[in-house]
Amino acid sequence: MRGAAVVEGVGRRTRLAIERVGDIAGYVGDVTRAARDVRTWAPEATLQARRLGVDSMPIGVFIALFTGVVLALLASYSFTGAVPLYFVGTLVAKTVTLELAPVLTGLALAGRVGANIAAELGTMRVTEQIDALETLAYDPYAFLVFPRVLAGLVMFPIVVAAAMLTGVAAGWVASIGLLDVSSSEFIKGVRLFFDSFDVRYGLVKAGSFGVAVTLIGARQGLQARGGAQGVGAAATSAVVFSAVAILVLDAIWAVVWLLGHTP
Amino acid sequence: MRKRPDFIVGLTVLLTAVALVSALVWVRQTDVSNRRQRVVARFRDVGNARVGNAAMIRGVRSGRIDRIELADDGAVLVRLSLERGTTLPRDPVVLLNESSLFGEWQATITERAALPHDEAVQRQLDAVSGDGMIPGATLPDIAKLTAVAGQIAGDVAAVAGRVGVAFDDAAAKELRASIQNFAVLSSTLARTVRDHENDLDTLSSKLQNAVRSLDRTAQTTLEIANRVDSSMTGGELQQLITDLGAAAADLRKTTSTLNGMANNLAATQARLDNFLANGDSVFKKINTGRGTIGMLVNDSSLYVGSDSLVTALRALVIDVRANPKKFFNLSVF
Repeated sequence: MRGAAVVEGVGRRTRLAIERVGDIAGYVGDVTRAARDVRTWAPEATLQARRLGVDSMPIGVFIALFTGVVLALLASYSFTGAVPLYFVGTLVAKTVTLELAPVLTGLALAGRVGANIAAELGTMRVTEQIDALETLAYDPYAFLVFPRVLAGLVMFPIVVAAAMLTGVAAGWVASIGLLDVSSSEFIKGVRLFFDSFDVRYGLVKAGSFGVAVTLIGARQGLQARGGAQGVGAAATSAVVFSAVAILVLDAIWAVVWLLGHTP
Repeated sequence: MRKRPDFIVGLTVLLTAVALVSALVWVRQTDVSNRRQRVVARFRDVGNARVGNAAMIRGVRSGRIDRIELADDGAVLVRLSLERGTTLPRDPVVLLNESSLFGEWQATITERAALPHDEAVQRQLDAVSGDGMIPGATLPDIAKLTAVAGQIAGDVAAVAGRVGVAFDDAAAKELRASIQNFAVLSSTLARTVRDHENDLDTLSSKLQNAVRSLDRTAQTTLEIANRVDSSMTGGELQQLITDLGAAAADLRKTTSTLNGMANNLAATQARLDNFLANGDSVFKKINTGRGTIGMLVNDSSLYVGSDSLVTALRALVIDVRANPKKFFNLSVF
């Protein structure tokens, strides 16, 4: 009798997991289908791009600024006496463009953008504004979700690009000002192993992070139940899931794109 | 209301894109205005060289590797972009080599004549020469050299191990005895050399002198031969023989004259002998005090008498001068 209950529990959990995957797939399908409703999402797109992207620019640049400085100092600390210091430029450029700018910016925006979307849509859900939109024949996916996803897809790479430039520039200035590395040495290091693939890789990764963060934030908001507590829970889970999604995507991109790539 | 976000978003996207593209162009040193000159080099393989590696001419960075691609015939084409106005060396070749121990490579453009004597490099260059492209060769990287060195070290270790196995105590004793024998032999040899060192020096010195003499002789002989040659060619020898004939005739004539003079000289000598004999006889008589002259010469009384006579005459003259009337009485009437 007890064994049957255990088996039943396993089956139930499996079904729930599959249902969750099905829900997510259905959600993504609904958002994708909403792309056809251009008249609904187009007017919202630039507004969301500004809110999610342009307004997030300062935090992305701020993070990159200090990341570049710290990277240069760490590289110098690690290389002293063993590796020529112009490799500081190589390490800063490679690390910022390939990894730190996309991931750190993505995590920062997961907190800012993901929580913002989840809270906004969650509030609309609990106050039945979304139900009202549906009553007015508005597709909530086209009106609320798709413009945000599109803004995330477009603006995350823009913010990450600015972060890349800022991070390398900060590392450059820190190397000249704080380390015994000349400007020409730093530039030599940057150029030494530079590959435009690094930038492409970072920007594509940032775009995927933008899509993930906005999709997760919107889904958590749309699923909010109850009152303010439900909205808070939705915002929290949006940030957590977004952060996890960013790290998982980062690993997937590394395996898929970096593994086997020869510069 | 909608235009303001559009403008801000558009401006942000444009500015970021422009900044990113500019940075990419600058970092990659992309030749946007096509102001660089391009050369293509052919290689059998390019090692770890990559796009973006520096191109060096006489140690000066003059460009970069723009592109690396496989050719149809299996060679590798490396396209280099150089600063405009860069002058390539005469008969240029391109060497790909590591520029540091940290994986940096560079393409060095140099003259073929300035290449190091390396058969592997020459083989690579010969294999890709032609087609109007600059031939290139790749020098082994540090990793390969290290691998080879490691292999050599392994082989040496194996040999050392085998020697260790074969080299037992008996072998060591024999080797020690051999070394001692060799030491004795060396000592003996050194002593022998010391003993004969002076002899060898003397012999060597004499030999050198002899050689120098031979050299001088040969030189002189050569000069004589040259003179003979020049004499033969100029007809001077014939003239010399003619002159010698005339000189011989003159010599015969002179000899005849000398014979006549010798005969006359013999008669003169006979008369001179006779004269001397007579003279001797006269002097002998004089010395013996015979005859008037002999007595004059040998008897001093005559000298004394003569001397006193002269003295008396001098007194007489003085007296005559002082008292002429004493001796001369001149009367006319």
